[in-house]
Amino acid sequence: MSVFALHRGCVTLGGREILHDVSMTVDEGEFVAVLGANGSGKTTLVRTLVGLVPLAAGDLDIFGTPIARFRDWPRLGYVPQRLAVGGGVPSTVREVVASGRTGRARRLRRLGRDDQHAIDHALEDVGLSHRAKDAVATLSGGQQQRVLIARALAGEPDVLVLDEPTAGVDADSQDTLAGALGHLSRQGGSVVLVAHELGPLAGLIRRAVVMGGGRVLSDGPPPTPEGHHSHEGHVHTHAHLSDEPQRTSVLEPRTFDR
Amino acid sequence: MSFLQFAFMQRALVAAVLVGAAAPAIGTFLVQRRLSLMGDGIGHIALTGVALGFLLGTAPVLTAIVVSIAGAVTIELIRERGRTTGDVALALLFYGGIAGGVLLIGLSPGGSSATLVSYLFGSLSSVRPIDLVVIAGLSVAVIGVVAVFGRELFAVCSDEEVARVSGLPVRFLNILVAVTAAVTVTVAMRVVGLLLVSALMVVPVATAQQLSASFRATLLGACAVGVVASVGGLVLAFYADVAPGASTVVLALGAFLLGAVGSRLRPVR
Repeated sequence: MSVFALHRGCVTLGGREILHDVSMTVDEGEFVAVLGANGSGKTTLVRTLVGLVPLAAGDLDIFGTPIARFRDWPRLGYVPQRLAVGGGVPSTVREVVASGRTGRARRLRRLGRDDQHAIDHALEDVGLSHRAKDAVATLSGGQQQRVLIARALAGEPDVLVLDEPTAGVDADSQDTLAGALGHLSRQGGSVVLVAHELGPLAGLIRRAVVMGGGRVLSDGPPPTPEGHHSHEGHVHTHAHLSDEPQRTSVLEPRTFDR
Repeated sequence: MSFLQFAFMQRALVAAVLVGAAAPAIGTFLVQRRLSLMGDGIGHIALTGVALGFLLGTAPVLTAIVVSIAGAVTIELIRERGRTTGDVALALLFYGGIAGGVLLIGLSPGGSSATLVSYLFGSLSSVRPIDLVVIAGLSVAVIGVVAVFGRELFAVCSDEEVARVSGLPVRFLNILVAVTAAVTVTVAMRVVGLLLVSALMVVPVATAQQLSASFRATLLGACAVGVVASVGGLVLAFYADVAPGASTVVLALGAFLLGAVGSRLRPVR
């Protein structure tokens, strides 16, 4: 069964059409990167997939159910692009991660043993168990990004949708992030992520959807450092560091600044 | 403890404890959402409700509740539309509320702006037995909402979009916060007054969060600070013959300063 099936989707925001006739299917167990320049529509695409942005035209099925009738939201995990975690009141790392469990929890009941295990595992997956009782505001930017991912993992989603999870994140946190996503993927989970630069995630990605001007420019295996240069719609560049192929930068930001 | 001999002071004390706990409890969620001034906006709108009560000859508390709930829901809906920022929506309602209140009180028979003063700054000596029943019922309702929906409210107030994706009833929860805040404002109106009600929702939270790393501890600490400030403020008001709203808020601000000094000495982890 497909996780997401978007058919001829159009999205209009503030009177301007942002996505034009976009079709995209994500199957169970897939690990998909959505690539593209700033303003290419990649963030709008993933926000549409998780139901935050309404379709002006077209159809979207989530786990085989049209979005209007879809109710099994806890199967989705979403990690938005945020500069910082939390609101105006201090919260501990564990409190923020536990809030990701709310969709699965029952009202008027304390969180059960399953819930606590899921929260513990999510914290372990992102390597922040030792910071669980600390105020989230005292963490570094990269660690806060890991908290956001743990929050989504705590809901034990079948698909995780992440918007630029690696933006502005230090190398250690990127490695931890890649480990956590790899773990989810090996357990059969699907991952859709928006990225500007793949870094350590490059090895996990099986498919890249490249967006440009609100359309899908290409959809297929991720670009590799060698070959493909003459390919039409070629939008990737690489770091040109032959001694460091594993650090392939699929998208160098300056290539995209139009 | 001679103030306890007076029946009106006994009633006022019970009211102060209830309001002192309820206002910061919902206030913590407003602060989490960065809508600290929402209580203030609702307080201004409630003034129109009070004046409407005088004009119609009904109990001002009833009209205040109705009008402030309507106002709070309006703020929420405007915010949700996203066309006007929450900030501007609040400003519009602030001015509309005050202007409406003064206008309506002027139209009501024998009414003048002076009539509104006890509602603006609180007047504990006016808490009648029936008021106490209403205050008690509504305070319990506010605390009940926080107890039952606290987990969901935390999720929505922390990250609305993520809460939406995880299937929480976001709109219902947002309106629940708005209505609960409106009820709190009208409950607290008698004790601290409409102009200072927001202070009792926000200052104890600001005090508690200086010494706490967690949301839960901040919420409970804020309720404790709120009860101490409102009871202390009442006693102070009794002996010094000042408006209880002012003495309560001054005490809460004093606690905030102490907390600020304390957090310097014992940094939050």
